Amino acid sequence: MSTAMNFGSKSFTPRPPDKGAFPLDHFGECKGFKEKFMKCLRANRFENALCRQESKEYLECRMERQLMAKEPLEKLGFKDLIDEKSEEKHSKL
Amino acid sequence: MGLCGRCLAAGWGTRVLCVWARGSLGPWGVDLWAPSRQAWPGPPQARGVARSNPFRRGQEQEWRRRNKTVLTYVGAAAVGMVGMSYAAVPLYRLYCQATGLGGSAVAGHGSDQIETMEPVKDRIIKVTFNADVHASLHWNFRPQQTEIYVVPGETALAFYKAKNSTDKPVIGISTYNVVPFEAGQYFNKIQCFCFEEQRLNPQEEVDMPVFFFIDPEFAEDPRMASVDLITLSYTFFEAKEGHKLPLPGYQKQIVK
Repeated sequence: MSTAMNFGSKSFTPRPPDKGAFPLDHFGECKGFKEKFMKCLRANRFENALCRQESKEYLECRMERQLMAKEPLEKLGFKDLIDEKSEEKHSKL
Repeated sequence: MGLCGRCLAAGWGTRVLCVWARGSLGPWGVDLWAPSRQAWPGPPQARGVARSNPFRRGQEQEWRRRNKTVLTYVGAAAVGMVGMSYAAVPLYRLYCQATGLGGSAVAGHGSDQIETMEPVKDRIIKVTFNADVHASLHWNFRPQQTEIYVVPGETALAFYKAKNSTDKPVIGISTYNVVPFEAGQYFNKIQCFCFEEQRLNPQEEVDMPVFFFIDPEFAEDPRMASVDLITLSYTFFEAKEGHKLPLPGYQKQIVK
């Protein structure tokens, strides 16, 4: 950690997270989704853009099990994935 | 010079030898035998005489006026200094936001931004992860992925794993660091496990996720043009009972 003792020098001040802290998943309820996500990452050379579906599922799992505050997924940056899903639905209909 | 001058030159006391200069002015042009009529203000009773002199009065008034002016200026300067010290706080904050010195928060950053932000697909950034524990904390804490490739404007998920290898429940609390420092202001964590006490039961192992994104403005900052690697480093400390860590203005939020 850096101390901001030198005026004008670059220093880092940690900021609290926007939505607070994740409660710990003591019972491993979402472990399966996490494993899926990690497998996807390893398969895709750790590119996040290709594994967003899995990360969305992990967060949905957390929300269902009260391990995360329920929020619309658009607010978490998954707007494009939701639009895709709704487009698929429309096209099927 | 006169006779007294010559007496002085001879080294004799003026008074004694200027006896015969009685009635005439001494070497300084002063009538030695009339002490009340002296050219300098001297003892107090002489000032009354000076005040009656109109030139003197005018001069004193002039001095008083000037003193008042100077005093007014000095007073105004003092008040100005006090005012500036109060104004400095918001001004400095504005300056920091404009220049981003010291890694302070950039203005306009909010969670509504997440909804509307567009990923900047041509700028790929590698985020590496680092995990540390304090020496007294016997946890096995490590990241579950060494690196992840993200673009600004895209939310990303990363995992750490922590195992309590002791036989007692331990409460830990963590903080983080982002290197390079200037990139830290663009690194926004939506949710993580830091700054809150996390309790691990004996021999328990948990996954700790970090949900973050890099601000799209990162791509527009000329200072960040050469930054391709950001390192996120978490450090866990043991939280002792009743020990309050200086958390950065963070109110404990209940997520459930």
